[in-house]
This record gives sequence, C-alpha cells and structure tokens, in this order.
Amino acid sequence: MDGVAQLQKQLVDFTDSLFQEGFLDEQFNQLQQLQDESNPDFVVEVVSLFFEDSERLLNELAKALEQKTIDFRKVDAHVHQFKGSSSSIGAQRVQKVCIAFRNYCEEQNIEGVKPWHRCLKCLQQVKLEYSLVKNKLETLFKIEKQLIAAGGSIPT
Amino acid sequence: MEYLHSDIADTQQREKQHFHVLAVDDSLIERKLLERLLRESSCKVTCVDSGDKALEYLGLLDSQEIDRSTASSSFPQPSTQEGLKVNLIMTDYSMPGMSGYDLLKRVKGSSWKDIPVVVMSSENVPSRISMCMEEGAEEFLLKPVQLSDLKKQLQPHLLKLPVHPKIDITTTSNDNGNDRMIIDITMNNNQNVVVSKRKTMTPEPLERRPQMKGLAVI
Repeated sequence: MDGVAQLQKQLVDFTDSLFQEGFLDEQFNQLQQLQDESNPDFVVEVVSLFFEDSERLLNELAKALEQKTIDFRKVDAHVHQFKGSSSSIGAQRVQKVCIAFRNYCEEQNIEGVKPWHRCLKCLQQVKLEYSLVKNKLETLFKIEKQLIAAGGSIPT
Repeated sequence: MEYLHSDIADTQQREKQHFHVLAVDDSLIERKLLERLLRESSCKVTCVDSGDKALEYLGLLDSQEIDRSTASSSFPQPSTQEGLKVNLIMTDYSMPGMSGYDLLKRVKGSSWKDIPVVVMSSENVPSRISMCMEEGAEEFLLKPVQLSDLKKQLQPHLLKLPVHPKIDITTTSNDNGNDRMIIDITMNNNQNVVVSKRKTMTPEPLERRPQMKGLAVI
C-alpha cells in the first residue's frame, strides 16, 4: 500500500507541476474528464495522435524553410495547424510559441525584408517546447502505468 | 449468433431516434475529440475530413446529383435520400480546399438547408463570425470546444426527438426579473420525462442569441 500511496503522490505532484509551469492548461483537464471505463485510454490515444501529427508538421516546416523561395503561406498554414492541435490537447507553451511564430511570419513585408532567420529561430523554439512537453507527458504516462501496475488507480 | 427479428427492429428504431451529427474537420485530433464529445452527449457521429467528403456523404456532389447510380463513393450510399438522416452538421472553418463557410453555403442552398450547421474555429475573428451567421449558421463555436458548450448547444435539438436519451438539463427562465426559476428536465429509467422547478436567486442570463464564446466584453 505504501508503494501505491507514494506513486499517487508522485503523480499528483508531477501533474501539478506541469500546470504550474504552464506546460499544460485547462484543456488537458477536459481530456482527462473524457476518459472513463468505456474510453480507458482516451488521453494516451489523443496525445499519441498529437505526437505523430507534430512530428509530421515539424518536418514540413523544416522543409518549407529550406526552400530557396520560402512560401510563407505554407509555413503559416503548418504553424496554424500546430497551434490548433497543441491547443486541443492543452499544450499551452507549444501553443504560445506557435502564436509568436505566426506573428513573425506576418511581419514579413516590413521594409521588404523577409525575416527568414527569425522564422528559423521560431521553428527552433517550437521544436524545443514540443520536445519538452513530449518528455513531460511521456513521464506522466509512465507514472500512471506504474501506479496501475502497483494496483492503484489514477486519482481524479 | 442468432438475433431475434424484434431485436434488429429495435436497434433500427433506436438508430432512427439517435441524434446524428456529421462532423467535418481536416485534423485527425479534432475529429477524435469531437467524436468523443458528441458520443458523450449521446449523439451518433459520422466524421469526415473535408467539405467535399461531407457533400459526398449528403449526396450533394455534382457528380452525384447528375447521375446517382454511377457515382463512386467510399461510403455505403443509401439507395434513397430518405434513408439518410442527419440532424446537425458541425464543421471547422479553416480547412484546405473547401472551407467551412463554403460548405455552409452549399448546404444552405440545397435540400439539406433546414439542417442546422455549426461552424467552429480556433480564431476569434468577428467579421468571420458575422459572415457565417449571416449565411445561416446556427452557431459559431470557438475551439477547443468544451463539453459544456456542446451540451448547451445540443440541448434544444435533443429535446425535439420523439424519444431522447437520458439527459440532465438545467434551463433558466426569467419569470419576473428578480425570481429566477430553474427547470430540471430529466428522464427516469422508464423513459418518462420528469420536470421539476425550483427557485434560485443566482442570476443566470438566458442566452438564446448566438454565443460568441471568448469575445471580450469591453
């Protein structure tokens, strides 16, 4: 029983920290509330889709920014998608850097200079925030798995 | 496994009585979320990933209207239009190819024009919202859509069904400005509607106008 209580505390503390540090927002709570006996793996399923989709988008973005003439509308479309999906799972920090990215892309025609290098920097930030939240979520799921394996249940 | 004829008939009956929502969004994550939200709200859901697929499903593609018998489709097309029942369409606004707005226009100009269409967007653009509302959208919801918004949205529609699933609704009606009545409508296990009223002093505005969730009130 000690092991279960410890894991539960670890889970609660870790989850709290993710919210406090802004990695996750209220939307993630919404996802958790949609998980029940008939949909026991809902959160993991949605988050897995997010990981797959994000990796695809990051590849597309890298490719788009490597082009001789950058199609900023395409870049914007990808970032818009990324913003949407991160918002849907509550990945707040990813969403924020996506918004900043779009703002930079929109500034493109100031003095006719396309801020390509800034876009590249934005992409690096998105990549970073994404890998951070991916790491955090994978850790979260690992603790949940351990808790269930130890015979405990996830506190609501 | 053998099924009694009456069981199949019962299922078909229940199928007809389910509130059927056609959900349109190019994002797989959004479709998964929406499907879950809608099933949680006791709806039957069909998801498609584009406006074109939605039109195809509704039998509104030009090729289908010209020649139904030879139109190829990935859906099990009903042999007659009457076989297909859609109670509500929920569509994302920004989609590659046909936008949610374009889809809205096509639906409103077709035999499906009386079906309510809800448009969703992650962007709060007032001109976009009024454009959709003017084109006949039932509602414009900001993403991510919350379960509570959805239930509020579906509530009046679900009540119109001849036999509706177990729902717990709280509606406020403004009796005389100071006293507010809360009407609880629930269904008990015998499928009987139980209506009860109670007074409350907490003010809750009755919102029948399209809600613009997320718009700042300055």
